[in-house]
Amino acid sequence: MTFKSNFAINAGRFVLWGLTTFTRGGSSLPGKIATTIDPNVLEALTKNYKVVVITGTNGKTLTTALTVQTLKQKYPQVLTNPTGSNMQQGIVSTFLTAPKLKDGEQGIAVLEVDEGSLKHVVNALKPALFVHTNVFRDQMDRYGEIYSIYELMADAAKAVPNATVLANADSPLFNSIDLPNPREYFGFDHKVDHDVELHYNTDGILCPHCHNILSYHNLTYANLGKYYCKHCDFKRPKLNYAINKIEELTLTHSTFEIEGHSFTIPVAGLYNIYNALAAYSVARFLDVEPNDIREGFKQAERVFGRQEIININGKKVLLNLVKNPVGLNQVIELVGLEKNPFMLVSILNNQYADGTDVSWIWDGHYEQMVNFPINETVVGGMKADEMKLRLTVAGIPEETITQLNSMNDIIEAIENSSEEHVHILATYTAMLELRKILQEKNHL
Amino acid sequence: MKTIRICHLYGNLLNTYGDNGNLLMIQYYAKKKGYQVDTKIVSLDDDFNAADYDIVFFGGGQDFEQKIIAKNSQRLKNELESYIENNGVMLAICGGYQLLGEYYVTAKGEKINALGILPLYTERQINSRFIGDIEIYDEINNQTYVGFENHNGVTHLTGDLQPLGKVIKGNGNNGQDQTEGLHYKNVFCSYFHGPLLVRNIWLAEHLIDLTIKKLN
Repeated sequence: MTFKSNFAINAGRFVLWGLTTFTRGGSSLPGKIATTIDPNVLEALTKNYKVVVITGTNGKTLTTALTVQTLKQKYPQVLTNPTGSNMQQGIVSTFLTAPKLKDGEQGIAVLEVDEGSLKHVVNALKPALFVHTNVFRDQMDRYGEIYSIYELMADAAKAVPNATVLANADSPLFNSIDLPNPREYFGFDHKVDHDVELHYNTDGILCPHCHNILSYHNLTYANLGKYYCKHCDFKRPKLNYAINKIEELTLTHSTFEIEGHSFTIPVAGLYNIYNALAAYSVARFLDVEPNDIREGFKQAERVFGRQEIININGKKVLLNLVKNPVGLNQVIELVGLEKNPFMLVSILNNQYADGTDVSWIWDGHYEQMVNFPINETVVGGMKADEMKLRLTVAGIPEETITQLNSMNDIIEAIENSSEEHVHILATYTAMLELRKILQEKNHL
Repeated sequence: MKTIRICHLYGNLLNTYGDNGNLLMIQYYAKKKGYQVDTKIVSLDDDFNAADYDIVFFGGGQDFEQKIIAKNSQRLKNELESYIENNGVMLAICGGYQLLGEYYVTAKGEKINALGILPLYTERQINSRFIGDIEIYDEINNQTYVGFENHNGVTHLTGDLQPLGKVIKGNGNNGQDQTEGLHYKNVFCSYFHGPLLVRNIWLAEHLIDLTIKKLN
């Protein structure tokens, strides 16, 4: 280790100590300082780590959490970064907080990395494995088109040609660029082949080779599934790891089978089974046995804002973060599993972190909710007007929708509702504000 | 009950920015005004017959899809031109708008031949986009429209082509001549997302009124 990197690391650790001792900690400032002193500090910090990088639009957080829990069943030192720290400085900070490895010891680091930050860290990290979860359109004012996002991921893989790329086989995009890396694939194989009709409002359905519209033998959601092209030989690659069976999908958990073994995760939604499958694949890649994987999955917690279950005056409230059309549509499907009559609360903000342009709600399949057992509907947030219009156009009777102006009013409406079940869909800053007030009121 | 026949042009490919909301609003107001709706997608393998539709919606999409459509749609040019010249009602947003013109240049600098139905063309900005809230004033209808723009393309209207409105706030077609979108016969074009017909209810109802008028 060079003198400069040594100094950088110590400086970073000192700042970290200061922050942790005098504040509530949790910042990427230590990383920023260390990197300023030595731009190559990350390389020094990761020298004795085997690194797994998890990237993609949706699912990074849960895939990382599940992977870490399974690896911990076998490996003593598993490092990971908190979800808010998936850019360069946050990653450096993560390594600064790591307990020092003993001489000759190798640690494992499982890192969630923002797609746009890959290029800044990949050369220093030299991952052994890249995991590509999926690519969907996110806020277009910030993140651009799905093809350019995938190019970022492909470029990072090319920079470390010995790294294995473990990708979601069900995404046609992930088969569209030739990579020098060894490749493995995970996907769904739980239904007999049949003809599938795509929803017309689906992104990314063109064959990258011959530019015709793709066909599917099986579809899980959005444009994910067993795709093939009728006009050329482009088709889904062979699966190394597959979901063979879905046993149960409920609001509280999902049970499914991989390679003959049954697993349960304490979260709902088909999309989360993909995350579990990805975690399973990483674990198998690192020689973890299925029984240990099963144990690891049980440890998964409901992550902040994703299917958080909250008790408000005895009512069962499920809180879901929504931020882009595909994620929103998966949450809508999930809410569709609710058998009890419920109150729907939809809070739409448009600050920078939410995406300033709310057009994306018009790509959401709110029309599906018309048949849900919704007894009461409340809309709120900065763009409550538009949320109300969206639901009205979707077919929810206008006179049943109450528009409330403040988060306090919304919480009061929930507290006073005659419904025992509540489903809240909120954008990021609305979620933060809601949770803050719920904490103040001791509901959280 | 009479039916309004809607053509969703390349609706399964030009569908990336919430512009589907325009289609939903068209359907919503048609039903509100007492009509049934029949919506068909005309895409890569489909024909377009001007006589089959009462209103056409042409949305925006990603560069990759738009380029493929620029080529594929050439076979529909005559019928689309006929539809437009016969006062067919059409709403074209972003990519759809660009495709009605002579050509457009992609963000990467490639010049793509478009339909050439209306006298306009689109150049690109280098490493820059017009992103933000926009407000324009439509002199002909004495209406103000609001929306959100997000485009790399800079469009220039030529000949006698009239814009949809004059820019009050924002960039508009090219950030220079204060024009936004275009209005020709019953064709309305814009770069507005929002979507346009969601943020501007008067315009949504106006399009349906025009469609109903032509139908009867």
